[in-house]
Amino acid sequence: MPAVRYLCLRIGHGLLVLLGVSLLSFLLAAAAPGTFADELRLDPRVSPETIATLQARYGANRPVAEQYVLWLRSIGRGEFGFSVIYNGPVGPLLWPRVRNTLLLTVPATVFAWLIAVPIGAWAAAGRGGWLDRSTTAVTTALAGIPEIVLGVGLLFIAVRTGYFPTGGMTSLDFDDLAPWQKMRDVVSHFFLPVAALALISLPVLVRHVRASLGEVLRAPFIQAARAAGVPERRLLFRHALRVGANPLISLAGLSAAGLLSASLVIETIMSWPGLGPLMLDAVLARDLHVVVAAATCSTVLLIAGNLCADGLLYLADPRIRIGRFS
Amino acid sequence: MTRRALWMLAAGALVCTYTLSAAPQTSAAPEWLVTRADEGRSGGQLVVIERAEPRTLNPVIAVDAPSKDVIARTTADLIHFDRETQQPQPALARSWTASPDGRHFTLSLRRGIRFSDGEPFDADDVLFSFRVYQDEKVGSPQRDQLIVGEKPMAVRKIDEYTVQVDLAEPYAVGERLFDSLAMLPRHLLDRPYTEGRLPQLWGLGTAPQAIAGLGPFRLREHVVGQRMVLERNPFYWKTDRAGHHLPYLDRVVFTFVPSEDAQAVRFQSGDADVTTRLSAANFDVLFRDRGGRNYDLLDLGPGLDYTFLFFNQNSLAADAPAPVARARAWFRQLAFRQAVSLAIDREAIVRLVYKGRAVPLWGHVPPGNKLWVNRTLAKPPRSVEQARARLRMAGFSWNAAGMLMDRDGQPVAFTIVTNTGNTERNQIATIIQDDLRQLGIAVNVAALELRALLDRLLNTHDYEACVLGLGGSDGDPSNEMNVWLSSGGTHLWNPGQPQPGTAWEAEIDTLMRRQLVIRDMQERKRLYDRVQALVAENLPIISLVSPNVLVGVTKGLGNLRPTIFDHHALWNVEELFWRGRPSGAAR
Repeated sequence: MPAVRYLCLRIGHGLLVLLGVSLLSFLLAAAAPGTFADELRLDPRVSPETIATLQARYGANRPVAEQYVLWLRSIGRGEFGFSVIYNGPVGPLLWPRVRNTLLLTVPATVFAWLIAVPIGAWAAAGRGGWLDRSTTAVTTALAGIPEIVLGVGLLFIAVRTGYFPTGGMTSLDFDDLAPWQKMRDVVSHFFLPVAALALISLPVLVRHVRASLGEVLRAPFIQAARAAGVPERRLLFRHALRVGANPLISLAGLSAAGLLSASLVIETIMSWPGLGPLMLDAVLARDLHVVVAAATCSTVLLIAGNLCADGLLYLADPRIRIGRFS
Repeated sequence: MTRRALWMLAAGALVCTYTLSAAPQTSAAPEWLVTRADEGRSGGQLVVIERAEPRTLNPVIAVDAPSKDVIARTTADLIHFDRETQQPQPALARSWTASPDGRHFTLSLRRGIRFSDGEPFDADDVLFSFRVYQDEKVGSPQRDQLIVGEKPMAVRKIDEYTVQVDLAEPYAVGERLFDSLAMLPRHLLDRPYTEGRLPQLWGLGTAPQAIAGLGPFRLREHVVGQRMVLERNPFYWKTDRAGHHLPYLDRVVFTFVPSEDAQAVRFQSGDADVTTRLSAANFDVLFRDRGGRNYDLLDLGPGLDYTFLFFNQNSLAADAPAPVARARAWFRQLAFRQAVSLAIDREAIVRLVYKGRAVPLWGHVPPGNKLWVNRTLAKPPRSVEQARARLRMAGFSWNAAGMLMDRDGQPVAFTIVTNTGNTERNQIATIIQDDLRQLGIAVNVAALELRALLDRLLNTHDYEACVLGLGGSDGDPSNEMNVWLSSGGTHLWNPGQPQPGTAWEAEIDTLMRRQLVIRDMQERKRLYDRVQALVAENLPIISLVSPNVLVGVTKGLGNLRPTIFDHHALWNVEELFWRGRPSGAAR
């Protein structure tokens, strides 16, 4: 059962990474100066004693190791820690937001690949031609635009044209809508953030597809197939893409990381109720458990993305199946 | 003996008012409060932009502004301060009497009124509320305000609709103690309170039916990360002059938009009706871009916030490094602080940072606080020459390169810290950097994240100078005790002193303590004027500007009377109504 062994190994790696990430983010978050109660200190109506009582109640004064163990234990109860700002367990805060973040990132990934593969392939086939050169120019320009500028720019378009809502995930009258109207409402809301995310990840993908296929297209077997009269399009998408897929699949797993971090920015700009705004708020408010839980959640998504990529690689590449993995 | 006699008199007066008002009560009709506002029409919703998601709906533990904004709409207080007149008004207490020394208050509660879940409200709810707020184990941030003379207020029930409140010491603004103190429903909270679960209650996941209050609106729905929808409270206790029950609006929606620019965009697109706390830059953009759009932009003039520069004047440990000790010696010289104040171009700050939508300050009370501002303070114009003269007289000199040197021939240089995320403060620090360069002082500007900054200011005292702002609330000096008392925790330049370090700090201590216990408004004003003069003379903080309060509102909102006090456009939300059309944004 090499497939099972391969999968177990990958999951084991993932768990180790999770533990490391949670520990590291816990240490870093705890090392930041100030505590959640500091916001109160600028309010002259609140005495220092009250603030000390608050800090003692939520264990802000306990050693970091003890706090980390407390957090690990609360995972067992499904709570993922206690939020001092929201005065409740972290889990219920997290789940709806994870769902919303996935609702953005999954379609964005799909769209980005659907666009990147044909463009990259054509650019590779016509290397040095006008299509290749204009693709290079556009992707270079896109890669140079900061995420925040892209987000605000799209919002600007939304205000000017009035075609799209200017943020949020649902309209105010969402509950009164019929099911298909609800669908349309959510889609119209997520169009801009998904477009932003797809545009952000597009340049890297196009470049990689182009590079990977470009190499394959110079291989002798392609020359032979071309000589045998296989049509160019079939050659490109049936034969070359299959051989060039290996590095692209690995890239798919890795690009999940970039997409997640970009979505933190885009969510905050477009007021999308995902992990991003929650995490930003928690970092600023020193809500330790929420920061760590959100960071760990993002890591889970990242590892899941990589696992999928590993699974695909296993299917796509016979060399991995023979057992040369580690 | 005299106090006793006066007290008897007050009690007599109370009996009189009580018997007078008791007559209509026999019919057991609810005692509505009739507002003076224009009669409006019912219906519609108001969409309000909120910077962040509220963290709780529990009025006992709420500390963040978004939570307080929502809670203020769903709860009510006994005596309310009118945000227009700064005077106390009847609210849940239909009337009240105060003893002449201000130590004893007798409150007559409105009869026959109900919480938003239909349960009646009476004196037991008031007693319960005070017990909860004052309980040390609950740890309410409002507890400190209810402690007068280091003793909690004593609250007694006289009958079902009368309570008496006794303070341990005379207190200048006793009525103010009741403002914004939300009365709690005992029938819902008594059990959780005795079980010690109250602080965890009414978090964000709570079902709307489990929450009740006495405010004009009640919770209808919370959509995680997006909005909170409040609906009309059918049991609300105010009516208009025609006898229509308030509020007029069916719903108030708080929609969460984290970034400032996105807030402006959201408002401009017509997806929201009200945005407060607009930055001057965004106000300008919205103003220029108005076109045919359907909104009004209101500049309410200078608010209650004041932005200032201050130097670290904490006492040093004996083994402090020499450079730190040297810098501390500059900061403690009045001439140095005067020179800095003279060299700062306040008008330029107003012009460049706030596009003219702010006023320069020479005292810490902004002109927006009309009741308390000392208008006689000197306003010395900017003068680099005079600043140089002060420094020269204090023994400073300039080297060949024009750099300022202290007595020991060391160059004068320091760092101004301020918080990230506040563009205005960072720009102000940069302007000061440029102004002080003309005195030969090399200034660095460093932006720190807010909590990291507070840690340095209040715990480690590891900073040299800082640009910060204070203010808000209602402008009464009783709210600023911790800022001006030398023992106070927010006495920023040198907090928590066991003994006042200077003669003028000692005088301010006396003045502030005195104004807190006398009830004569004119005398209080005289005392606080003197505090303002002392601060302006000794410059522990160098007041810079007070930004204007900028508000954007969709056109057609009746009874809209926004103020510079907290809640701005929403303080009279129960009276707001849509003229002409039935509803607001996002129909």
